[in-house]
Amino acid sequence: MPPAKRPSPKRPAKRTTAKRAPPVDALAAAAWLEADSALAEALVESDRAITANTAEGRDEALALLSLALGRAARRRGLSRIGKRGASEAFDGARHELALRFKRAPKRVRVEIEGVARGREILIKARVAPVRAKRT
Amino acid sequence: MTSARDAWTLCIDFGTAFSKAAAAPTGAWSRFHPEDVRPLMLSQENGANPFLLDSAVFIDEDRILFGRAAIERADALAYKKRQALRSFKTLLSVSDLDRVLNTVAPASIDPHRVFPMRDLVVLYLAYLLAATDRAIRSDPVLSAASSIERRYAAPAWRSGDSGGLHASVVRLFGEAEALRAALGDKILAPQGVTLKGVGDALPGALAHPRSVYMGLVFEATAAAAYTSIGLEESASHMIVVDMGAGTTDIAAVARSGGRMEELPAARVTLKQAGDFIDKVVANIVLDANGWARSPEQQSVLWRLLMRHMRDIKESLFADGRAMLRHENRTVSVTLRDLEKDKDFKVFLKNLEKAYDESMAAVRDSAIERKRRGIQSIAVGGGANAPFIQALLKRKPSRSGKLVIEARPATPEWAFAPEFRGNLAPVFPQLSIAIGGALAPETMLAARSELSLAAAGRNGIPAAPD
Repeated sequence: MPPAKRPSPKRPAKRTTAKRAPPVDALAAAAWLEADSALAEALVESDRAITANTAEGRDEALALLSLALGRAARRRGLSRIGKRGASEAFDGARHELALRFKRAPKRVRVEIEGVARGREILIKARVAPVRAKRT
Repeated sequence: MTSARDAWTLCIDFGTAFSKAAAAPTGAWSRFHPEDVRPLMLSQENGANPFLLDSAVFIDEDRILFGRAAIERADALAYKKRQALRSFKTLLSVSDLDRVLNTVAPASIDPHRVFPMRDLVVLYLAYLLAATDRAIRSDPVLSAASSIERRYAAPAWRSGDSGGLHASVVRLFGEAEALRAALGDKILAPQGVTLKGVGDALPGALAHPRSVYMGLVFEATAAAAYTSIGLEESASHMIVVDMGAGTTDIAAVARSGGRMEELPAARVTLKQAGDFIDKVVANIVLDANGWARSPEQQSVLWRLLMRHMRDIKESLFADGRAMLRHENRTVSVTLRDLEKDKDFKVFLKNLEKAYDESMAAVRDSAIERKRRGIQSIAVGGGANAPFIQALLKRKPSRSGKLVIEARPATPEWAFAPEFRGNLAPVFPQLSIAIGGALAPETMLAARSELSLAAAGRNGIPAAPD
């Protein structure tokens, strides 16, 4: 007689998370669609800046390139971290020191802004310690 | 996360330019999981944002076109002064809705002069309902839902009789359901439907509307819902500024227990909004570019500016200046130029006055109810404009210890990791549909069913569902 089959513990129903996931790809496609025209414009202005014969022409193209890139970034949900020249409390998650220090500084000055996408930090802001004023 | 078999709530937002829809599990208000929010892919046009359905109907020689096809055909025939019917939101929000629905559409919209506005609205709603059903069928979660309750969002600035107007709108949805059933999915075809097909199906649909259940959620309430959902503490009062294309609507809601009520005294509508700002910006550029002297040069520049106005305003408001190439020149405009403009100054003064009036009503309500917090939020195309953001921080006079808190246009939960950063960029466009779907039943302004017994016209019984 074969041994009685032991009832197997009932497995919890498998979560079909992939099926229930939000329509991330479609949302991403919609955001890209909005960003594409701005990126195309940025590409054209980049070429103009590189091939410009005059300083004025290059400055104009760079200004247009910067504005177009800004629009593309916003439409993809990118935002800047910090403001160049601003002094703020050091936060290792958002800031990267230009030079290594034994001890993390309390306050830093933003040298180059970083970039975030929502809560995700894509590039940390480059910072330098703010030296306490000597009295 | 909820089970796919759960009941869901779906909200339709008739934007002036686009219609949007979103769904959330019924009861999401009390157990909120951001990842459960599902915007609907209403459009399947190539190269179009799938979440935005162009609000447009175009009457051609022998066919009726909808959505993107309607706009493209209207553009192609613009030289014949032909137009697509748009702005259904404005139409459905007028206080004398029944009178407007009975007027015949102008010849630029209906050259055959056979369709009253009602027919065109029913046609568009039938198209929208068909697009909504197609989106539900193709959504792996919603297609398995046990039930889907429907709502629509509307501005709160129409007349006080929102219940009566709601009944009229529900009737239109009932007629549209009957028309959609008669026309089938043909209505979604890019080539639209024939005039003959519409002529055959429409009278029956109008006489025998289907039974529908629709809730009405005010746009201000929808904004309050998506802003305060999931927060442990949120203010009892919220003032909402919605600067769209044609109007700037200011409305407010107050929470009392689990209920949300709109404050009629706080409703203000300005007939100047995004379109007005567009003209101001274009005039500034024309004035600053003396080389565009001839009417033809000015007309070419004007059209170029209008075509790029969305980009221009975005850069202007976010970066403080906008630039555009035109032939061998570069034209530019700065935020400072706009702020110095005489027309803009008058607009801003009127806007601040309207906001202060609305805010005074909110302040009085908050003080009367012994509440301390008022939140302010901007929605719509102008939400990120610096002057709108500045408005949200204004404190009303005699507000004592009231705390005014300006809330961001995109709530923190829209950045939930499950969306991988992809909801936040499109959230402002979908926000009212999402908020309307999240709002609990107690926040609805009206709910009603077009009963079969009451639906028939001229004593003719309604068609069964």
